[in-house]
Amino acid sequence: MEFSDTFEIEDTTPEEAWLALSDPVMIKEALPGCQFLVRVDDDDPDFDALREQTADDEDPPTLPEADPEDIAERAFEEGAHYAALMEIGVGSVKPSFETVVTIAEREFPEMAAEGEGSASNSSFELEAGMALEETEDGVAVDWNAQTDVFGRVAQMGQRVINPVANRVVSRFFGNIEEQLRDVETDDTGGLRNKIRDIL
Amino acid sequence: MSIETIDAEDVEVEEVLGSAIKRREDPSLITGRAEYTDDIQRPNMAHMAVTRSQYGHATIESIDTSEAEAMDGVIAVYTAEDFDVPGELPVGWLLDSLRTPAHPILASERVRYQGDAVAVVVADDRYVAQEAANAVDVDYDRLDAVTDPDEALEDDAPVLHEEEGDNVALDWELGDAEKTDAAFEDAATVVEADLHNQYLIPNAMEPRATVAEYNAGSGDLEVNMTSQNPHLHRLLMSGVIDHPEHKLHIRAPDVGGGFGSKIHHYADEALTALCARELERPVKWVATRTETYETDALGRGHVTHAKMALDEDGNITGFDVDTKASLGAYLSTFAPAVPTYLYGTLLSGQYDIPAIHVAVEGAFTNVPPVDAYRGAGRPEASYVVERMMTLAAREIDEDPAEFRRKNFVGADDFPYQTEVAVEYDSGDYEKTLDEALDALDYDELRERQEELRDEDRYIGVGLSAYIEACGLAPSELAGQLGAQAGLWESSLVRMQSSGTVTAYCGTSGHGQGHGTTYAQIIADELGVPYDDVEIVEGDTDEVPQGMGTYGSRSAAVGGSSLATSAGKIVEKARQIAAHQFEADEEDVEFENGEFHLAGAPDESVTIQEIAGQAYLAHDIPDDMEPGLEATSFYDPENFTFPFGLHACVVEVDPESGEIDIERYVAVDDVGNQINPKIVEGQVHGGVAQGLGQALYEGAQYDDNGTLLTGSMQDYVVPKAEHIPEIETRSTVTPCPHNPLGVKGVGEAGTIAAPQALVNAVTDALQPFGVDDIEMPLTPERVWRAVEENGGGN
Repeated sequence: MEFSDTFEIEDTTPEEAWLALSDPVMIKEALPGCQFLVRVDDDDPDFDALREQTADDEDPPTLPEADPEDIAERAFEEGAHYAALMEIGVGSVKPSFETVVTIAEREFPEMAAEGEGSASNSSFELEAGMALEETEDGVAVDWNAQTDVFGRVAQMGQRVINPVANRVVSRFFGNIEEQLRDVETDDTGGLRNKIRDIL
Repeated sequence: MSIETIDAEDVEVEEVLGSAIKRREDPSLITGRAEYTDDIQRPNMAHMAVTRSQYGHATIESIDTSEAEAMDGVIAVYTAEDFDVPGELPVGWLLDSLRTPAHPILASERVRYQGDAVAVVVADDRYVAQEAANAVDVDYDRLDAVTDPDEALEDDAPVLHEEEGDNVALDWELGDAEKTDAAFEDAATVVEADLHNQYLIPNAMEPRATVAEYNAGSGDLEVNMTSQNPHLHRLLMSGVIDHPEHKLHIRAPDVGGGFGSKIHHYADEALTALCARELERPVKWVATRTETYETDALGRGHVTHAKMALDEDGNITGFDVDTKASLGAYLSTFAPAVPTYLYGTLLSGQYDIPAIHVAVEGAFTNVPPVDAYRGAGRPEASYVVERMMTLAAREIDEDPAEFRRKNFVGADDFPYQTEVAVEYDSGDYEKTLDEALDALDYDELRERQEELRDEDRYIGVGLSAYIEACGLAPSELAGQLGAQAGLWESSLVRMQSSGTVTAYCGTSGHGQGHGTTYAQIIADELGVPYDDVEIVEGDTDEVPQGMGTYGSRSAAVGGSSLATSAGKIVEKARQIAAHQFEADEEDVEFENGEFHLAGAPDESVTIQEIAGQAYLAHDIPDDMEPGLEATSFYDPENFTFPFGLHACVVEVDPESGEIDIERYVAVDDVGNQINPKIVEGQVHGGVAQGLGQALYEGAQYDDNGTLLTGSMQDYVVPKAEHIPEIETRSTVTPCPHNPLGVKGVGEAGTIAAPQALVNAVTDALQPFGVDDIEMPLTPERVWRAVEENGGGN
């Protein structure tokens, strides 16, 4: 299945959008059903250990509250692996996908990632890309995603899968859009300058 | 229009054969008293579930069963290495070019289709078993997949069985290539087309199921299963699980349809039997609907390029067919026969074609094994022939009915030897055509078509002059062609001393109504009341031998076997009667169940009375054994060749792509009819499935081999509202070489219907230049076909 779209955020700069979209915490919060999203050493992490480890974690602040320096510190890195636990309701079942994502490419203003998620008897593979472009009013986020779904979930039929995939993708970008708007409405000016400095 | 049924008690003995007697099996089926495999309960019975590959193609890196084993209620978890048995499913039809890679009951190194079995779990409870099967942790390394036979045969296609080097499963041809090439060189007109026959999911109403029970004391293993051929399953399973054939008891209780899908020997039934033997506990496995969609052998799956040569008078002079056929991931039981001998041999259709050549390449693909599905090869052949006949008639601007008539094998030309090995037994093709044209009021219909076009309404007429071959035979010929089984049928007819009859037949009905039709045959042969005859099938401990029910063989082969056994009983009874009359056998006549001396009809003895005498054995001929029963192994001398003409009238809306079926006329000649109501029912069911293929059905896989139509929400099985009223008519041209003159009707509708519909829709869309639309003809495809041709502008 392939998805692609472009959304625009007004009154922001590509740098601000870039920093926000590089923040694993913001991404975690934007992803529907995401239990945790943490950096891991390799592409075969122990999810049981991660579940325990992250059980009591509270998410640190994201933009606009967060210090841009902190975000830059924890930002996605090219070649790095991230583990996520995603609970997605599909029809009558709600599998938890143990997902590992690798940042394949990250050079301003473009980022690409690939990942695999597996749940009991179901799995998916994902390749996603994103590019930012400055527009008259703000920033255009051009994204695309290609997924293959396997196993039990795939068998629910395309009429079930497609809406679910659409829902996950649109809610994710909807959330991102909203969070970025928060950045843009923070009119102290200081934040914007700080971000510019970091980049 | 529809045939009225009658109660058996209202039928005179002399009219029992050929009467539309109500099916005796229906009351139990429709009141829930039928016993299906899943209805069987055994004390201490456990349940099996199967861990299946979620990938179309992958290597297995590791299998971790620990989590599943630790679950409450789980009795055992088995992977391939846990069973010390041959564990490979055999293929029952061999060809010179056939490659036979291993087909293990549990995959251990590589999975080749989504649904391939990897492990089994046995638990106290069905749901626990299923949950534990999901908890078996299989680490896969996914591989590229290929599902289309054409693509699978390309050089860069992912290879399923690496030891074979490529995906070629078989390479087969039939006919005279040289003569056919010459025909094309001299042709006045050549018509060519690419034709597709999509994958179909069989959709038997009852999913496959097995209940197995092992008696460790006696070593007997009883396997109740959804089978179309219990004796064949006994033979095959005996080898797969290494259990002596005489200690294996296969029983098919009531079986809810099969359409071919319950002929084959699958892994699941063998695994259930193995688990029962290992655990010494009864074990039940019932496929979920999802599992049937993942694992039941698919039907069809052909991509064909066909060419037809005509002379300047519109006579067919040559026919050349090149087909790529998918066999799926592994070879199923009779898979190699389906796209070869059950397909190529029917490519002469109803026509006198002097030169035919067919080449078939079979391909391994990442879909479930492809095998026989209602029609098995013959619908694919009929589709190619009848689509090409319609395209050729259009090309030379002849009426499609008259073009067919001109090329028919003449009524006086039977037996007719085709260019593709088979010899047609009997036929009268013009008769069914005329009957259909009369039913349609064809000339008036063509006029109306013209008139309506002026109003921008588009109706079309599609013809399908089909031929079918039933009762694959004789065994010697089948053996020469590669069958690893005989194709006779066995029966035992036993008259009890009270005069009632029990008849055992090696076929195994699963909805066809054999209990009714076979009883009609026996009642007619023995002259006994229909209600005094009981039919037993589907049990290897009760029925001495058998080959099963498939390929529309039951009436022609099983019925003939029963008639032969009954005939032997009459002869023995005649000897006893002659003994009592103190007369010569030749002078004893048999009529409606009574023996009498020629010329003295008043002094008679009934066959029931003779039966009593036969068991008393107080006064029977000196050299005669007591009892009154007979066994036959009937091996037909040829196939039977039913035929007919199906016609479809549609109105197509070119703006929406919607198709409205105005009329569907089915004229079938299936030889003598044992029970016209059952014949009519078979035609209805077959046409429904054929129209299902033409309009709605089709298993679709994505590039990874994942089934996209994995449920009945996504794979459209036609419902009553989707099927038009079917107008049935019949002609009767008896089979000349079996005792009943019957031919078979189980698959006729499925063979005839798809191209009748496609020919009709493309006929309607001639003003738009649309000559072909790939099945299923969804409104979107119809609309696109119109648009691609300029939308009529």
